[in-house]
Amino acid sequence: MREVTRALVGPVWRTMPWRALAAAGVLGLLTAAVPAVAGAEPDPWQTLLLLRGVALIGALGLGFLLDDPARHLTAPVPARRLLRQALRVGLVAPLAALWWTAALLLAPSASRPPAGDITLEAVVVGVLALAGAALAVRLTDEARPGPFVAAFLLLTAVLAPLLAPEDWALFVQPDDPRWSTAHDRWAVLAVVVAAAGVLCGPEPVGRGRRRAAKARRAGGPP
Amino acid sequence: MPPTVSASGLSLHYGRTRALDDVSLRLAPGVTGLLGPNGAGKTTLLRVLATAVPPDRGAFTALGHDPGTPQGRQEVRRRLGYLPQTPGFHPDFTAFEFVDYVAILKELADRGDRHREVRRVLEEVGLGDVRGRRIRKLSGGMRQRVALAAALVGDPGFLVLDEPTVGLDPEQRMRFRELIAGAGEGRTVLLSTHQTEDVAMLCHRVIVMAEGAVRFDGTPAELTARATGRVWSSTERDPGAKAGWRTGTGSFRNVGDPPAGADLVDPTLEDGYLLALDGIGTEVTA
Repeated sequence: MREVTRALVGPVWRTMPWRALAAAGVLGLLTAAVPAVAGAEPDPWQTLLLLRGVALIGALGLGFLLDDPARHLTAPVPARRLLRQALRVGLVAPLAALWWTAALLLAPSASRPPAGDITLEAVVVGVLALAGAALAVRLTDEARPGPFVAAFLLLTAVLAPLLAPEDWALFVQPDDPRWSTAHDRWAVLAVVVAAAGVLCGPEPVGRGRRRAAKARRAGGPP
Repeated sequence: MPPTVSASGLSLHYGRTRALDDVSLRLAPGVTGLLGPNGAGKTTLLRVLATAVPPDRGAFTALGHDPGTPQGRQEVRRRLGYLPQTPGFHPDFTAFEFVDYVAILKELADRGDRHREVRRVLEEVGLGDVRGRRIRKLSGGMRQRVALAAALVGDPGFLVLDEPTVGLDPEQRMRFRELIAGAGEGRTVLLSTHQTEDVAMLCHRVIVMAEGAVRFDGTPAELTARATGRVWSSTERDPGAKAGWRTGTGSFRNVGDPPAGADLVDPTLEDGYLLALDGIGTEVTA
């Protein structure tokens, strides 16, 4: 297993959707650099909004991470899907961390929100993108589910602030007394979404077995 | 000969669509053809047997293992070659790099052995000279051969080929037939196709599917024999025929229940196939 994993690193690196990732990376950094380029001194809420936008752009790129044009040809191979997906995530994670650090540094320091908290928000959005991609791979035959994942993320980004219950506020500002509590929730979300993503990774062995078991419990034919 | 693959009662639904309906079959070494119209369930059956998708119901064993268990599925996949209908490639890879990538996914970890195996299969499919060329620069027929090489790498005991000759010109199709015939020596090959000529030339056995179910299972000669006495020639299209068409000589070839005194002609595999789909002579003979 270790030898296979080591041998896969190079080819998997080359199969990653670099165009989508690079486009999101460049667009995110350009967005983060807008105040510095324009010489503006934005308010803290504006910088917060800017960084949330940058995180979303990065996540849109990550939504394409599991796109694989050769998916159908490489579906029934012994190397497990979860391993291949984990390799992609592992390879992109250091780059994503560097990219986010650069985005934070580009944002105006005077109005920058607490770095740890806004990074947590970015992590959740990124993990949500990856979990969405893993879910799409599990539930569909689509070789390139990236556009659908991106659309799902955009929709979530629009609806979440509108639909989230008041006592489960997530999108608060640093001077809001709920900031700390909100970030406890972001941490919970990070764990839940990551777990959901990991659960989507393994291929199901048999739908029939689950259905048959359910039918047996219900007293019907398998 | 003992079966390599034995399936019983395979069923699969996509939402409300019944893609497979209680399919049972046995596959032995050699090339078995899978014929059927679009939407017959051929690709779904191939994907199930290739362990790409689990069935809703039913079970099968392949190469002595049960893919219904995680360990069994791994064992089957270690000895399986699969060429899907639309293979898809990483176009910046060379032919060698792509097959090498698939070889790693098939757990051929030792670099030296793996590279020898990749060179062997690329030679086998006639791509030895272009193995360093990027896939984006290969013709459609060459790409299809890259996909076949990827399926053959690791010397699988069970080869699943989903319409491998679609979109190929006649010369390429002939070349592919040679490759499939070679692959079928000592292996179990399941070949889905729309081309009855492919089946007539390659297969020792043919399965006809329609609406997710097996409509015929026997030898090509038996399928052809189903049409004996049911194909006739006439100067006008016979309205009683199940199918009829004008031939190059100007006469009509009719398939169905002939009228008395009809000018019967020798049937072909295609005639037997048409009748099997029409519900005439569709008892399963396996």
